[in-house]
Amino acid sequence: MGELGKIHQLLIHLGGYTATLNLETMIMTWIVLTCLIVFGFMTARKRALKPGPLQVVGELLVANLYTLTEDAMGKELARKYSPMISALFLFLLLSNWIGLIPVCEEPTKDLNTTLSMGSMVFVVSHYAGIRAKGLKAYLKGYFDPIFFMAPLNIIGELAKVVSISFRLFGNIMGGSIIVLVITHLCYSLILPPLLNAFFGLFAGTIQAFVFTMLSIVYISVMVN
Amino acid sequence: MTDIQTWVNASSFASAGIAIGFGAIGAAVGEGYAASQAAVAIGSRPEQSGDILKLMLVGQAVAESASIFALVVAMLLLFTQQSPHLINVSVCLAAGICMGFGAMGSGIGSGFPAAAACVGTARQPAAGGRLMTNMLVGSAVCQTPAIFSLVIAFILLFTDFSDRPLSPTWAAILGAGISTGLAAIGPGIGGGLVAKASCEGVARHPANAAPVTNLMLLGQAVTQTTAIYGLLISFILIFRIFPETETLSRPMALLASGICMGLGAIGPGVGEGFAGMAAVDWLSRNIRAAGELTRTMLVGQAVAESTGIYSLVIALIMIFVF
Repeated sequence: MGELGKIHQLLIHLGGYTATLNLETMIMTWIVLTCLIVFGFMTARKRALKPGPLQVVGELLVANLYTLTEDAMGKELARKYSPMISALFLFLLLSNWIGLIPVCEEPTKDLNTTLSMGSMVFVVSHYAGIRAKGLKAYLKGYFDPIFFMAPLNIIGELAKVVSISFRLFGNIMGGSIIVLVITHLCYSLILPPLLNAFFGLFAGTIQAFVFTMLSIVYISVMVN
Repeated sequence: MTDIQTWVNASSFASAGIAIGFGAIGAAVGEGYAASQAAVAIGSRPEQSGDILKLMLVGQAVAESASIFALVVAMLLLFTQQSPHLINVSVCLAAGICMGFGAMGSGIGSGFPAAAACVGTARQPAAGGRLMTNMLVGSAVCQTPAIFSLVIAFILLFTDFSDRPLSPTWAAILGAGISTGLAAIGPGIGGGLVAKASCEGVARHPANAAPVTNLMLLGQAVTQTTAIYGLLISFILIFRIFPETETLSRPMALLASGICMGLGAIGPGVGEGFAGMAAVDWLSRNIRAAGELTRTMLVGQAVAESTGIYSLVIALIMIFVF
């Protein structure tokens, strides 16, 4: 229980500034990335008309995520953004699942991870909006009903980043706290596997999917 | 004159009562509603009673989890010894209020999809498996506001506030608890309404299950936005270190910012739930209107949310300007 809220940090002093690195989060993120790269390499290595088992899994994932993107954005944009969406979903999925392995911690339990993902979606969606509508129409959107609504519209846009990243962070953090505390209270008997299955596998999948869906919607709302 | 330890203990007992007392309200209402609709369903189709009963019990188990979170917090408040420091009186109260109110909305909300799934199985027995999946997903997402409250309650209980100045910090902590606690009520109920419509929709048209579930997730996610504003205000109030002050106006501003955000989030949560409910309902009836329905839902929810954003702005002004 004493471990709750403790973070292993590496402080680097560079000419007056202090850079803080959350070591566990970084190591886990790199493990997730390595797994994904190996998975991608394995699925695409032996490509054949009659696919092997790994290729089928890869094709299923990519095809489903592509259809999801296409339904919301249309064909042209989907070709452009579905690789990013697929990568985002797979990264978040594996990040939420990795907590099932005893020593590992979910990288998404750290607000820094989710907030950076949220900011990425924010930047990409606004870039897509400017590209599709032009700068003038994009800026005009902020003064939409009446001109003095502009500050509230801007806060509304910034609140999107907060909402998308805090949702993922809060859920994963909450899940891991519940697993830790109830495991402690029941002396690790019977309950922990069930809790892990619910909060790690089930809720983790749902939250990764919700994050991905919201990213798709944010982009398509900015474009249309 | 009683010593500080007595005050801290008294506060932790009172907060344990608040946590599980208020926390028991929501889940009981939700589970009762699920049971009532299960009775309706079995009455209309007695030969399906086994399936309906199973579905009802699973749905009620998920609805109960919000109350179990409150129970865990209450047990921790009772059995962990808080150090004798005056700030811990406020910490215990804030954790109790946060979890007690936070469990209310999610409990009521996740009863709705369980009820709709029971009625749906009676109407469309063949869709049983899909209904179960849809109900589980819907009610699991409904729990999100309660999980936020749990996170805040735990952060409050396990952070050491003893080196902070007492004067504004007690109000900031209390405000943080109230903010997330109250803000969880509306989105919990609203998310339940969306999930209810989607369970009805899957039963009505099992072939459209995938788009209906997707729109449900989207509607619920947007509905929860105001709960997340409450969470944001709580985080700011907990982690920002406020300088010591003699006056009472500064603590009151911090306390009020929590109350402001908490109360302001209730209405938008329920309102956005209505928007999502109708959109999901009509998606299952008319799948060809998917694009228009999604857009209308999102725009409507964004407008309904604007009052929540007003509360957020005022709360932020009270924290950072006054």
